[in-house]
Amino acid sequence: MQSQDRRVDPAGIVVAVLLAALAGVIIWDMTTLQITQTYGVGPKAMPIVVAVGLSLLAIGNLVLAFRRDFPQREQAAHLPIILILGGLVAVIVLIAIGGGFIPAVTILFAATATAFGRRAILTDLAIGFVLGTAAYLMFAKLLSLSLPMGPIERLF
Amino acid sequence: MSVLKLAWSGAIAATVATVLATSAAAQMELRIIAPAAPGGGWDQTARSLQQAMMTEKLVKSAQVINIPGAGGTVGLAQFINNKGDGNSIMVNGFVMVGAILLNKSPVNLSQVTPIARLTEETQVIVVPANSPIKNAKDLVAAVKKDVARVTFAGGSAGGADHIMAGMFVAAAGGDPSKVNYVPFSGGGESLAAIMGGRVTAGISGYGEYEGQIKAGRLRAIGVSAPNRLPGINVPTFKEQGIDLVLTNWRSVVAPPGITPEQKIALDQLMERTVKSKAWQEQLKQKGWVNAYLPANAFATYLQEEIARVGGVLKSLGLVKS
Amino acid sequence: MDPISALGQGLLVALQPMNLLFALVGVLLGTAVGVLPGIGPALTVALLLPVTFKLDPAGSLIMFAGVYYGGMYGGSTTAILINTPGESASLATMLEGNKMAKAGRGGPALATAAIGSFVAGTIATVGIVFLAPWLVEVAIRFGPEDYFALMCIAFITVSATFGSSPIRGLTSLFIGLALGLVGIDKLTGQSRMHFGVPELLDGIEITTLAVGLFAVGEALYVASRRHLVQETIEPVRGSLWMTAQDWARSWKPWLRGAMFGFPIGALPAGGAEIPTFLSYSTERQLTKYPQEFGHGAIEGVAGPEAANNASAAGTLVPLLTLGLPTSATAAMMLAGFQQYGLNPGPLLFAERPDLVWGLIASLFIANAMLLILNLPLVGLWVRLLSIPQPWLYAGILVFATMGTIAAKPSVVELIMLAVFGVMGFLMRRYDYPIAPVVIGLILGPVAEQQLRRALAISLGDPLVLVESPMSATLLAIAVIALVAPFVMRGLGKFKAETD
Repeated sequence: MQSQDRRVDPAGIVVAVLLAALAGVIIWDMTTLQITQTYGVGPKAMPIVVAVGLSLLAIGNLVLAFRRDFPQREQAAHLPIILILGGLVAVIVLIAIGGGFIPAVTILFAATATAFGRRAILTDLAIGFVLGTAAYLMFAKLLSLSLPMGPIERLF
Repeated sequence: MSVLKLAWSGAIAATVATVLATSAAAQMELRIIAPAAPGGGWDQTARSLQQAMMTEKLVKSAQVINIPGAGGTVGLAQFINNKGDGNSIMVNGFVMVGAILLNKSPVNLSQVTPIARLTEETQVIVVPANSPIKNAKDLVAAVKKDVARVTFAGGSAGGADHIMAGMFVAAAGGDPSKVNYVPFSGGGESLAAIMGGRVTAGISGYGEYEGQIKAGRLRAIGVSAPNRLPGINVPTFKEQGIDLVLTNWRSVVAPPGITPEQKIALDQLMERTVKSKAWQEQLKQKGWVNAYLPANAFATYLQEEIARVGGVLKSLGLVKS
Repeated sequence: MDPISALGQGLLVALQPMNLLFALVGVLLGTAVGVLPGIGPALTVALLLPVTFKLDPAGSLIMFAGVYYGGMYGGSTTAILINTPGESASLATMLEGNKMAKAGRGGPALATAAIGSFVAGTIATVGIVFLAPWLVEVAIRFGPEDYFALMCIAFITVSATFGSSPIRGLTSLFIGLALGLVGIDKLTGQSRMHFGVPELLDGIEITTLAVGLFAVGEALYVASRRHLVQETIEPVRGSLWMTAQDWARSWKPWLRGAMFGFPIGALPAGGAEIPTFLSYSTERQLTKYPQEFGHGAIEGVAGPEAANNASAAGTLVPLLTLGLPTSATAAMMLAGFQQYGLNPGPLLFAERPDLVWGLIASLFIANAMLLILNLPLVGLWVRLLSIPQPWLYAGILVFATMGTIAAKPSVVELIMLAVFGVMGFLMRRYDYPIAPVVIGLILGPVAEQQLRRALAISLGDPLVLVESPMSATLLAIAVIALVAPFVMRGLGKFKAETD
């Protein structure tokens, strides 16, 4: 491990680059503003302040990276993350194409439960479905919240 | 001539379709889009319509759907996608006209089918009770002296209040692009700024300031209605010699591409709704003023308003073209 | 009629069995909707207002108050138990509250939140009765430059949430400030950083950011480390109820929280977020157990939750005395009054004292009802945490997405939730504090707007910022708050050396 101490932490460099890029985007966006305020400070002032701050912090994080002032990280498991994000993506896609709230929630529930180590996908799908239906009936029907509708929701 | 002709043929078609439409509408499963979060003016209008239609059994069912965002333009964009859907209407109003221009919205109101104007509210300019400005003429004089030092407080930039500030300055002979308008979020905040004497004058819907005007904490120096309104003891700008007429109206529109029959059915439905007792009660409860215009008359009115608002926003420097 | 006997009469009305039932129903409904993240008390009230239409004025107002407090309490409950804030005002409560729940002290956390809300609500109600007319005159003198000065104090207190490294804390804060740029610029009406997405024009929803960073981010983080550490949450470790020490550590924060919440809530643009964070950082400074902060210090729950509740009562001051609805919730209350053809305002106290005092009394009753209802339920709520981990996190994600999509029915909002979730995960992994991001998003836009308003009114003269005695005083406090910790540390060192 000693030899690693001399090396730069790549994570810190990535953070610094991202912050600098964000600052760049803010400045670029600021230049597209056409209307300046007639009196006092205009809409461009705050973006400049934030962009300058982010640039300085990019340098600051770079320093942290060179000092290896970043936490030691354990190996992260990839599969659970992919499962949960997959569940969220499924929700987004299903709702976007009009699949409705209940199926979306069913998939999300099962995907998350699997990510946390359960291996009973059918049971979890069933639980998710019941939970989603119950929540839909309570919030959309009883309390008139508008939740996305799909074929199943139209049955109620 | 063509407008007359259109109206005439419309009238004939309406008469023919009345019987059909009456029975058709009673079976309608209507969706009312409120392009705002629950609680706001458009949402309240949508829910009042829903309540009136349901109580009077004018439709089989009516569902209110909120699609909030960006002065209603998010809702409008989604609404326009329901091409040819004769069972949806959307509540909108004056504010949306400006929001479309201001947000450079890719969709606009020329794409929807106007159905009816429902209500309108007059706008008012107020000053603190201890202000040296006593009437509209004094404020005109102040604007003439130094337009920068006359600060107006009101609602969001580019909204009805801002447009009115620009129109007032222009009518007073000032340069509208120099108007010192300070937008506040919400009526409460702007009221405090006016009563605390931070700004010269405040602009808002009359209802929002009514309590303060009656209690004598604010002085109303003019309303923007064309004529004096019953129950409002404030002179209009017109009678004070200032050319400023503006009302904040609300309306309903249908999606693009609906058939003439569908349009007539909705037109009929709205007519019977606004004439119903339940709607009158809603108006009274909410303090709204009936300003019903049927589909064709409203279409013409909408065109005029779009042109007018566009002109004012350009003169304010808020829209560059 | 003098205030006290008027309040007494209001209480008598509210205590009728039928009205108590309405209060109960209101509290239950409000809690049910309020637990959804993104659906705060204002939206809850808006959704349930039609239900109250059917009742008589007294019953309706009482149910209304119940819904309101229920919504608020529901938000804090989920914040404490599952790290999912129901609304932005319960963020500060969440910071320590969730840590307590994870350590098996969810019971005391919920209890101190409930009792603190009740205590602060009661103090604030008394405040309305005796101070309203005086306080409101101060409140409307508060101008844009004074708000800006208040924001300066708030910004300094953010550092309390920075954790170990200032650079990391500032990095988080500036990411929040950058997110705050998104949307329509309130002063010129043109949009910044929206990249052609119309849903971004209204800016980034605070609850979407908070739920994404905290709830989704945590789910990802815990899932990714499951093979390393088997994290088991014990729902109850030690006492379910508050111990004598918990009481001793809670009562002062309750009182101080009320002192922050009530006056700032009464300001037309005060809000609930600033007093809750001011309370959090104050408690962090004053505590005798600084090492516990960040790991579940009860003061950090008691103070902010009291401030939250007191600020809610504070918004009633301008509403009832001047008819100014200064928050979304107050605007809904106004709608509640208008059902009966009443316009709150300067004349309301004189014209309809029965309704005004009835409302104040019913707020009191609703608060008490919530306490009576929830304290016995604390045990049950805490049992939520004994749900097996896979189902618990799956349920949290379902609730998070449901609240987000219900508050703003748009796929863009869900995409943002997922993106912020990934961001929260990465920030945890690389040890960046999360709270400053949310605080940056809350404070940045407000500070910018108020400063620009002040300068627009003064035609660009910066002296306006120090000319008013109020803003000068507040700025002085800000400077002291900035410098004091260094001076204290220096003094401490000096003392240690001389000893």
